[in-house]
Amino acid sequence: MFGADLDVKVPRNFRLLDELEKGERGLGDGCVSYGLMDDDTTLTYWTGTILGPLNSAFENRIYNLRIRCGSNYPESPPVVYFRTRIHLHCVDSHTGAVDPSRCAVLRGWTRQCTLETLLIELRREMTHPQNRRLQQPPEGSEFSAPSNAPSGR
Amino acid sequence: MSGHLSNRILRETERLARDPVPGISVTPHEDNARYFNVILAGPAGSPYEGGIFRLELFLPADYPMQAPRVRFLTPLYHPNIDRLGRVCLDILKDRWSPALQIRTVLLSIQALMSEPNPDDPLNNEAADLWKKDIARAKQMAQEWTTRYAK
Repeated sequence: MFGADLDVKVPRNFRLLDELEKGERGLGDGCVSYGLMDDDTTLTYWTGTILGPLNSAFENRIYNLRIRCGSNYPESPPVVYFRTRIHLHCVDSHTGAVDPSRCAVLRGWTRQCTLETLLIELRREMTHPQNRRLQQPPEGSEFSAPSNAPSGR
Repeated sequence: MSGHLSNRILRETERLARDPVPGISVTPHEDNARYFNVILAGPAGSPYEGGIFRLELFLPADYPMQAPRVRFLTPLYHPNIDRLGRVCLDILKDRWSPALQIRTVLLSIQALMSEPNPDDPLNNEAADLWKKDIARAKQMAQEWTTRYAK
């Protein structure tokens, strides 16, 4: 539904309002979700959750993420951090930051990508052979928020 | 079909520049001719009087078959405007008609500022106060105007 007409560019704010409404109605099978933090009127700071996929080391765990959509979104990808501790090849093991150069959806970001596709693709990374059986930190532990992480305002 | 800017949009934009509505300024973005910066003067006699309110307006691909999208960027305390600046107004939804224009939409929003409709709320807290204690509600709206719109 987003960007179906390539010639008409929906501006950032209206695009994010569309994404917000879609997220509030509920997404697909409920394995990922997202929402705006603290009624942020700049539409910049978001939270996301991913339910770990079955038959993986992530099964039955709920992962909380922080997402920052900058002023150039959706031309530029958002900045993404895991808050819940995780071992994943594209995630910095100290900060929880998702490394855009190691994450296919961020590396190949286009304005057709959405917060929903971002979370679905991150969940798919968990089923990738190089990640699927990685030993995971104790359940429920969190990354200590680095000073530059999008943790709020 | 909608890649080139329709004559309709060009005509409206030209007329807004040539023959502006008092108290309303509409400026297209340089890099997107369907996206406008809007400045509305708070209507006289309302708690928003004296305030300068910034909005953004976007004409979607199938405008004028579909209504413009509008959002307040300046916070205001109003039963039909939520914390993200979204506006609840019938002509932006099911009562839209292609005969309406950017100009009529913005005049309707000014009218909504003068005449809130607390029975169809988007900000429930403001709507409740408007119904229970209208003097206090208007005082709140005035305080927000002073704090955010001046």
